[in-house]
Amino acid sequence: MRFGDLIRVALSRLGTGKLRTVLTMLGVIIGVASVVALVSVAQGATKGISDRLQSLGTNLLTVSPGFSRTVGTVTRGSFGSATTLTLDDANAISQLNGVATVAPQLSTQKLVIAGTQNETTRVVGTTPGYLSVFAYSMWSGSFLNEASVDASLRVAVIGATTADNLGLTAASVNNTTLYIGGLPFELIGIMQPKGGTTATDDLVLIPVSTAHELFVGSNSVSSIGVSAAAQADISTVSGEITALLEQRHGITNGVDDFTITTQAQLLGTVSSVSDVLTLLLAGIASISLLVGGIGIMNIMLVSVRERTREIGIRKAIGARGRDILSQFLVEALALSLAGGLVGIGVGVVASLGIGIYAGWGFVFNPLTVVVALGFSLIVGIVFGVWPASQAASLDPVVALRYE
Amino acid sequence: MSAATLLGRTSASTEVPPIIHLDNVSRVYDTGRIQVPALQNVNLRVEDGEFLAIIGPSGSGKSTMMNILGCLDRPTSGRYILDGQPVDELDNDGLAYVRSRSIGFVFQSYNLLPRTSALENVATPLMYQGVPHKERLARARAALERLGLGDRLNHEPSELSGGQQQRVGIARALVTEPALILADEPTGNLDSHSGSEVLGLFSDLHALGRTIVLITHDSDVAAAADRIVHLRDGELQEGAAA
Repeated sequence: MRFGDLIRVALSRLGTGKLRTVLTMLGVIIGVASVVALVSVAQGATKGISDRLQSLGTNLLTVSPGFSRTVGTVTRGSFGSATTLTLDDANAISQLNGVATVAPQLSTQKLVIAGTQNETTRVVGTTPGYLSVFAYSMWSGSFLNEASVDASLRVAVIGATTADNLGLTAASVNNTTLYIGGLPFELIGIMQPKGGTTATDDLVLIPVSTAHELFVGSNSVSSIGVSAAAQADISTVSGEITALLEQRHGITNGVDDFTITTQAQLLGTVSSVSDVLTLLLAGIASISLLVGGIGIMNIMLVSVRERTREIGIRKAIGARGRDILSQFLVEALALSLAGGLVGIGVGVVASLGIGIYAGWGFVFNPLTVVVALGFSLIVGIVFGVWPASQAASLDPVVALRYE
Repeated sequence: MSAATLLGRTSASTEVPPIIHLDNVSRVYDTGRIQVPALQNVNLRVEDGEFLAIIGPSGSGKSTMMNILGCLDRPTSGRYILDGQPVDELDNDGLAYVRSRSIGFVFQSYNLLPRTSALENVATPLMYQGVPHKERLARARAALERLGLGDRLNHEPSELSGGQQQRVGIARALVTEPALILADEPTGNLDSHSGSEVLGLFSDLHALGRTIVLITHDSDVAAAADRIVHLRDGELQEGAAA
């Protein structure tokens, strides 16, 4: 029997029972679509998180006070809560080779009032370097400058979310007085929203010297943002900062009272989490593909029984066992392959919709399609072979007499 | 078994070999506890161009005879040489090959493929011979036209009368140009008018030199043949009814 004839017979057969064909395919369609969509969702979520991390600044190192001990993948300690880093440390770090900009952060929570609106938010005392270190850009007005830090001016730059919350617009810049912790500040600029978490855009920046004088009595900073001159230098710079701070803090036993985090570390963690997530979702989706395969087997077994007489006729007029076998196998394959193709279409559309809704755009991995299609073919073969061999082994004498 | 061997003639003698040569053929059904003999020591020769009727009441072994002659089943003992070739020891694929090349079946209940056009039904045996699609459709069309069904090519069996369905069945048996046409109660499901039409077709085919074996319980039907053998309790008797 020719291959073209196998295809012809299978297709005409599937065409005569359209509803049943579609219902049988539905199992595979749902299975393949969920594999494609869920893998795409997992990868899209990962991409979304990576993008946000990168929006924080790719050359960024963050030095935080307090130690951390890493046991396996679990980090414990008093990370971020100690008061061992000072403004002097920040100044020393800025002198290192390979360091482009340093932005110490003196953070506190304060009530901020603008006219009749008010909000309690993060108030950060920092230096002009903050803008470039954390990859912000200005939307209106200007950022803090060296002069404002030197003179401890009462000026403030606010994030886009804060501006929204306080009802401030571009027109408000340079003619609005903000009351921060009850003290008047002049609004000199509003930053572009950066996206990512809302917290990134909900903050008030004031000169570090002003914050030190008015709000934070001590000299300690909550963290120091450091941008390396080049991304390649990050590990070198990290090592230099460690050595510098150990020397300045008189640490000799290797138990540091500070922690350096880089974007690379965060990205690495995210990608390992996302790999697990992708695998998990693909695994769950595969179960529905398996169920779809069993659906195919079920319908093929019913079909073999229903068509016993037809099989007998075909054998009487010259079909060999292997002709019958391949006919049923091609039918199962056509079902699973067609289901797989439709499923890929549905999955792509679904992941496109979810991607747009969730805001990470369309993430499409051709490998997923190849794997899903291959998997549906395997499903067709595995679940088609048994019914097909049942059909092929029928005795023509018995099959011809079957009612 | 290779196709060359299957096609080869085994008889070395110069005489024309018979189409059917049953030599002491028995078929015993083993039901586990008891052994039921359905055919016992049957000897039969059917020459090329003969029109033979095998007549017998129900339970006489007609179905078994039909299965053995049609290569759907193997004898328990004895030799069966079809068209010069021993077929009693062939495996399933070998038997399928012989059915495909040498036998055309006409069944009582027509046994056409459902939801399949008359044209595709007649073309199907050629598909299993590996004949290309276009050629087999042309040959199937010619066979149907010869049987007066040129205007029913695209009708499905459910859209045809019994007599028309049986003519499609005969066209399907003829399309491969087989050595033997084996008809099992071909008029059993037909009214007398359609039945005599079908028997007339067999007579026409016989006149054209076809070898036909017709199996029936009806002596009126058997009368269409030019030679009659009787099957009774699994044994074959030549000539008129006892």
